[in-house]
Amino acid sequence: MANQALAAVHAALRARKLDRTLTTALPTAARGDAAATGIARLDAILRGGLPRGELSEIVGARSSGRTTLLLQVVAAATARGERAALVDAFDRLDVASAAAAAVDLDRLLWIRGSGGAEALLDRALKALNLVLQAGGFGVVAIDLADAPPAALGAIPFTTWLRVQRTIEGSDTACVIVAPQPLGRSAGGLTLALTGRSRWSSCLRGVDVTVRVVSPRRQVDGDVCVGADVR
Amino acid sequence: MVGALYLVGGSADGLLDIARDVTPRIEICGPGELLLDLSGSMRLFGHPRAVAQELRRAAAGRGLRVGVAVAGTCTAARLLARARGQGTGEQGTGEQGTGEQGTGDIVVEPGAEAAAVAPLPLALLADMANEEPSSHRHTLAPSHRRTAAPSHRRTCPRTIALSHRRTHPRTLAPSHPLLSTFRRWGLRTLGDLAALPADEVAARLGTDGLRWHRLAAARDLRPLRPAVPEERFEQALDLDWPIEGLEPLSFVLGRLLEPLAADLDRRGRGAAVVHLRLHLVTRAVHERSLELPAPMRDARTLRTLLLLDLESHPAPAAIDRVVVAADPTAARVLQCSLLHRPLPSPEQLSTLRARLSALMGEGRCGSPAVVDSWQPGACGLKPFEPREASGRHGPQRHRGTEEGPQNLCVSVPLRPVGANNASNRPAAALRRFRVPVPARVRVEHGRPVRLRTDRRGLGGGRVAECAGPWRTSGGWWIDRAPKPQRHRGTEEGPTSLCVSVSLWPVEAWDRDEWDVTLGDNATYRAFRDRGTGAWFLEGIYD
Repeated sequence: MANQALAAVHAALRARKLDRTLTTALPTAARGDAAATGIARLDAILRGGLPRGELSEIVGARSSGRTTLLLQVVAAATARGERAALVDAFDRLDVASAAAAAVDLDRLLWIRGSGGAEALLDRALKALNLVLQAGGFGVVAIDLADAPPAALGAIPFTTWLRVQRTIEGSDTACVIVAPQPLGRSAGGLTLALTGRSRWSSCLRGVDVTVRVVSPRRQVDGDVCVGADVR
Repeated sequence: MVGALYLVGGSADGLLDIARDVTPRIEICGPGELLLDLSGSMRLFGHPRAVAQELRRAAAGRGLRVGVAVAGTCTAARLLARARGQGTGEQGTGEQGTGEQGTGDIVVEPGAEAAAVAPLPLALLADMANEEPSSHRHTLAPSHRRTAAPSHRRTCPRTIALSHRRTHPRTLAPSHPLLSTFRRWGLRTLGDLAALPADEVAARLGTDGLRWHRLAAARDLRPLRPAVPEERFEQALDLDWPIEGLEPLSFVLGRLLEPLAADLDRRGRGAAVVHLRLHLVTRAVHERSLELPAPMRDARTLRTLLLLDLESHPAPAAIDRVVVAADPTAARVLQCSLLHRPLPSPEQLSTLRARLSALMGEGRCGSPAVVDSWQPGACGLKPFEPREASGRHGPQRHRGTEEGPQNLCVSVPLRPVGANNASNRPAAALRRFRVPVPARVRVEHGRPVRLRTDRRGLGGGRVAECAGPWRTSGGWWIDRAPKPQRHRGTEEGPTSLCVSVSLWPVEAWDRDEWDVTLGDNATYRAFRDRGTGAWFLEGIYD
């Protein structure tokens, strides 16, 4: 009886194209279906990296290592010969940092936002949609790390559902960088970062702790990643 | 089979039309001389003789006197047609035993070309030897070429002792020095020259002599080169009523671009540049040109690109005539890979770039580029034109720099991903404020102890850790900052979709930099401008 009810619910969700909300209906991500982050310990825990065709998030406070991790993901993608796109809503990318992170800049499409916060977010989301619909990118990231919480809260949740629908079944791993979880994708991952600067006589780097939040992933524990200032 | 037409009398105007009725592959050898590729015409006419008769009949209908010859090689056909036209081959040797002679046309079966041209005089070769481009001469050098002939051969009847000074063929007069040399050797006909050993001729006369020898044997030095008619890809439409706005223009463009794309497709060409001319009701002409990053002939893509460009550069008045033209180029040949992930096509990338530019503004999308400058925050933006995947995860490599007012490092991977370096840690990234954020800093004993900004979201507080100062300055020789410079895509020229490399404006700077960690663990890069003494936040380590 319970199985029949569950099957009926599944059928109704599928009819409305909402079956991706069922975590049990999602295929188990194989190692080849993930975009590696380039950090071995993190990839081991993530079983290959960020899942392709899913919406993942890198969230954390300021100086928690979000941009460092994002650049590592982009660098790994470009090193594999893939194209990457960065919708830089607040135009915060430091090109020297990207080059130091070994990003192949020729394979990175950098979309720089400008203007007021609300129009800026609107344009950034439209740009993200255009890039995802064009296809052919291994990693597409949108950087909303400096967006005000109120503006982020005003983004309709259906926006992320639509993004998820756009990349579903594709080879693109979509990444949101934000101060707080936004997409909450069932198939994607949320990497919650906390960072602490490392000092001796001068700033040596940032120690980043990555906590993987996912309804579908069994995670053994937090991952500590150190980043050096160069 | 190759046919040759040699005009004897009359105007050469109609000669090309006669040839075009038989085959589209025609090489124009001179004002009154044509070569025709008849390889595909046999199925239409049945026999080479029928082709020759058709050519002669058509020429006679236009009042032209022509010499017609059909042979297996271009050289044989030309020589025989010339001989027939000039009357030098009337001895009949050209047809005896090798070809067919009927109504005056010469038809030589394949394999009998050398015998057919053997009785012709050597002087016929002088003009043809002069016509051949020098590039082909290099391919004819024999591998067994000798530097000097053995002395005992000089008495051999088939080899002649000679002292020949080679001359560049382009400078040769009709009285070719080689011709006089051959006459001194006692050679009179092409057959006489063809009978000499090729290596001996090459040893004495070099590549020029070898060219003559091959021509005398009715062998081709190069394949037939069909003349390519001038290609013009243009479509125009006069409108009954003037139109305004992009939506009605979209339909008009679609109607014009579809036959244009079909024409390009039919000829195996692609559009390198698309020109749009809008004739306005004010009698002005609004012109736009799009330089495409790759040859395209997809009508929908071209229409989208034109419309996106017109969104940014609209016509100032209503339109009553639309003209679309394309500069053709060789079509793009794409071999997809079974091993690599599918990449976006140039059409998709162009459309994406145009859409993003329309959305975010000009110069806001592209590939970042490192600029060879010490100026803080200096960076460049260049067109996003990703290379094909090489599959290399190679070691450090620098792909050079581009010349410009500032050297633009195309891409400088400083280390491969995952490589074992000193610390094996990723590089901490800086989130840079494009416009430095003013800050209020309290300094004690020369060190910042408290930092605060008015920017919402950045906050401030007590300085937990700090290091510095690092003094840096530059650009002091610049009086005032110039505007961002652009290398390509000037307003006069066509609008390039792969627009330009915009460079960071060069400005003077003189400052002390500090790394500062506040109580909330946010780590900033701050600096004090030494000129004004004001403090700013340059970025935040993240």
